[in-house]
Amino acid sequence: MKTHHPQATQVSSALLVINVLMSTLYFIAIVWVFSHGNAYLFAIFLIGEVFHLWQIITYTYTIWNVSVATTPVANARPSIDVFITVAGEPVDLVRTTLIAVQALDYSNFKIYLLNDGYVAKKPNWRDIENLASQLGVACITRKNPGGAKAGNINNALKQTTSEFVVIFDADHVPTPEFMTKTIGFFNDPAMGFVQSPQFYGNHTTNYITGGAWEQQELFFGPLMRGKNRLNATFMCGTNMVLRRAAILDVGGMCETNIAEDFLTSLFLHERGWRSAYVDEVLATGLAPEDFSSYYKQQYRWARGSLEVIFKYNPLWRKGLSWPQRIQYLASASYYLTGFVVIMNALLPIVFFFTGLVVFNIATMALAVVFIPYIFISLLALQQSSNFTFTFRALAFSYGSFWLQMSAVGAVLLNRKTSFVVTSKQQVGGNFIHLVIPNIIYIMVAIAGGGFAVYRYGLNASVVTNMAWALLNIGLFVPMIIAASPYGVRPSRHTPESLSIQRDNKPVRPKEMMNV
Amino acid sequence: MFKILLGGASRLMSRPVTTTGTKIIVTMSLLIMAAFVVVVSQVLYIHQSLRLDEAQSMWQTSHSVGRMLQLVAQDVHVPLYHFMLHFWQILFGNDVTTVRYLSLSMFVAIVPLTYLLARQLFDWKQSLLTTALVCVSPFMNWYGNEARMYLLLTMMTIINQIFFVRILQRKPNAWWGYTISAIAGSYSHYFFGFVLLTQGIFYLTNVKSFPRNSWLKFTGVATGVGLSLLPWLAYVHSLGSANSTRPHLIKPNSVDLFNTFAQFFFGFQDDRINTLIVSSWPVLILLGFLAIQKQHRFTLEIRYIGVAAFVPIVGAFLISLLVTPLYISRYLIVALPALYLLLVWLISGLPRRLPGYVLVMLVAGMTFTLGHQAASADTPVKEEYREVADFITGAAKAQDVVVLSAPFTIYPVEYYYKGEAPIETLPQWNRFEAGDAPAYRSADLPLQVTTIKGNRRNAWLVLSYDQGNNKEILRYFDQHYQRLIEKKFSVGLAVYEYKLRYDTPDTDALINSLNR
Repeated sequence: MKTHHPQATQVSSALLVINVLMSTLYFIAIVWVFSHGNAYLFAIFLIGEVFHLWQIITYTYTIWNVSVATTPVANARPSIDVFITVAGEPVDLVRTTLIAVQALDYSNFKIYLLNDGYVAKKPNWRDIENLASQLGVACITRKNPGGAKAGNINNALKQTTSEFVVIFDADHVPTPEFMTKTIGFFNDPAMGFVQSPQFYGNHTTNYITGGAWEQQELFFGPLMRGKNRLNATFMCGTNMVLRRAAILDVGGMCETNIAEDFLTSLFLHERGWRSAYVDEVLATGLAPEDFSSYYKQQYRWARGSLEVIFKYNPLWRKGLSWPQRIQYLASASYYLTGFVVIMNALLPIVFFFTGLVVFNIATMALAVVFIPYIFISLLALQQSSNFTFTFRALAFSYGSFWLQMSAVGAVLLNRKTSFVVTSKQQVGGNFIHLVIPNIIYIMVAIAGGGFAVYRYGLNASVVTNMAWALLNIGLFVPMIIAASPYGVRPSRHTPESLSIQRDNKPVRPKEMMNV
Repeated sequence: MFKILLGGASRLMSRPVTTTGTKIIVTMSLLIMAAFVVVVSQVLYIHQSLRLDEAQSMWQTSHSVGRMLQLVAQDVHVPLYHFMLHFWQILFGNDVTTVRYLSLSMFVAIVPLTYLLARQLFDWKQSLLTTALVCVSPFMNWYGNEARMYLLLTMMTIINQIFFVRILQRKPNAWWGYTISAIAGSYSHYFFGFVLLTQGIFYLTNVKSFPRNSWLKFTGVATGVGLSLLPWLAYVHSLGSANSTRPHLIKPNSVDLFNTFAQFFFGFQDDRINTLIVSSWPVLILLGFLAIQKQHRFTLEIRYIGVAAFVPIVGAFLISLLVTPLYISRYLIVALPALYLLLVWLISGLPRRLPGYVLVMLVAGMTFTLGHQAASADTPVKEEYREVADFITGAAKAQDVVVLSAPFTIYPVEYYYKGEAPIETLPQWNRFEAGDAPAYRSADLPLQVTTIKGNRRNAWLVLSYDQGNNKEILRYFDQHYQRLIEKKFSVGLAVYEYKLRYDTPDTDALINSLNR
């Protein structure tokens, strides 16, 4: 039964159609109506605009209908193995998760701590084993390294037998109803996996956790709801239930990709297994609390996703339906945004120093088509996210251009990237060196603006390009703030993660209802 | 200074909302704002030279009611403002300042009305900020001191929108106010139709959000407005639908469109400043991005305000491109209150201290341009007919002739002119005869100039309101007569003195004595 979830916001079809129409009109205007300036600059600009059009069309296609299925009542109580993946996380944090898992409202399940601390050379691997015995749960400590988190899970799969597998990261504290809210989907024998949102309980801790969560909200909101409709939900590494037969059908979790969950989902869909998304927060985890961890996490996701494009391009995967191909490509191609960002950001700078322009038109003519296009896009974005998306989330994506470009470079050059578990504890504070490209841009833009005023005077083109540069600077600054010591300064709000960890009872903050 | 302003604003805005305290703050603020409007008027605007449109208003309303209605109909306007101005002049006098006080009084009334409209959507702080923007608006101050109907149109728009939003919010006693304001608004300016059109579009696209059976009431209102306008439209039709007296407008382009937005916020500025303002449009995108904040919702009321801010402007623009040109920014003042409300909503969504900074910068910018608009000689809408008339009064002799083009500029010139030289127009026009001013024809120019010249010694050619032929007239005079003086008074308003004959009264006397 398809229902409209109370938290899901269905944007009016009219707005979505207008959004695509305006974007198309804008595209037509820039390609066929406006007089073009420098051919190379226009070509660069055009690539960016084709990418934007692709993003808008695929986003619209994804969120066209975001109604999600309510969880069916389970026909049976099949056996479940609950895997808690650990690779050096603090014992207290693991304990909290473990206690919450033990309190799950389900009768037929067995808990395993998948302890990768030994192979990851973490000093507390023995403490984890002690914790397991203390709380009476099984602990599988891997001794043979390989495959990172995927290898850890595959190792456990060989040593366990239950029909289903639930996976939690060490910091993800489930609510008691996790099983009852998910297992009913497996009444369908073709159901391969069920994913639930990855909520960050510490999202009010500091600037970085706030931004990280706000980025997640869009993904676990309209995007995953839409993917669910298209049977294109993908695994996110935690808070998920897998059918053992399905995961074994694709040879276990994929160990060759740094974003193992993404690629494994693709393989599962390719083999005809179905997927479902539960539109309700059933576990609370922790966002990276420092910029370094955030940066590494984003880089890992970018690298893994981009590898899918370059090495497992969804368009050519035979078992996938076309909606699935489009969804995988849309998700993976998000990480190409960095190139488009920097191409667009450089246009005003090129003008400052060379006088070359993309269009030979009155700046107002561009505004006539651009302003309605961008504001309607923003309105559609906000409405579809139930007004949870933020400027900070946008700026975190925009300001990650260097990270994304580095990931593309690493994929193309086949450079090795090791899987590093996202740190759940704050590490240091000042990571300005990671945003040097952002700072360089700002400095060059300011110098260029001054140069242009000196060279051409304060004419319309100079002012407009200065305003564009200011727009880019405005979008780059939040990333610099995040990398500075300010990024880890405690927010004024009470960190909810503390309350989660202190009393072992998962709380359900209001924001969870907006996911 | 900036910090003090910002600090003061923050302190005011962070005051706890207590009923009595809030009422006092709001009342005092509104009084101060109304006083500000009056002071700005007295110091900067009310004593400026009469402008052509104002002269026409004064001339039209100086007639009997019957004749006035005829003139207004032919001038393609609706008569409510002219009625008011007619009786205003009977009661208080008809000098320029007094006549302008009618608009100023409406501007003062708009101060609390804006607050009331904003209050339907915002809290009291945001409502005060919206009102403050209206008070420092160069555009509003310009037309708040002009003897034309634009402030009446704005006032009726705001009143009507208050009731419309109240209907939307299912508040009681809104329908009668809505109906009356819709009828009155329709008689304040034809462009009030855009206000009603916007509401119609919004209603049809959000019909489920309105009270049940509201369609019946809206149909009733529409019928009432239509019926009330019918006599006037029939009257206009009986006069030939003003076919020959409609203003000749040109198709707008994208620059005109953005100039409208720039004018709404920063008034009428010279080309240099206007270019800076309009070319900065990508900053608006940054503001839009910054306003993407959690739970900064685009509520139903804000959606209406968004529609009310853009539909009239975009609608007039498209009609002008596709049907017939009717795009004039001052007519689109109906969109201004909604635009300000939308901006305050946008700014209030900005993170942390940014709203304070942006508002202080915006108010500072608007205040600067408010002063600059009044003081600068390059303000494009300034018409210094008083200076022109004073200049010619002092310089022209009885043997000279004053020649005006376009012909209708005779109204403001004549208002101030006290000289002895007669006034003629090109093309020649007897405005006391029925009918319109004759159309300009190049072929008629030599004969008309010769007729005007007669035995006159010098001609004082006053060119303004170019109808496309001023250059030709100037060229003709330059080719046939010696130019003695050229003096520019405001943008598009210049005086040229030409020597029409080389014999002087002295030489005439000498020739006569020799003949004898």
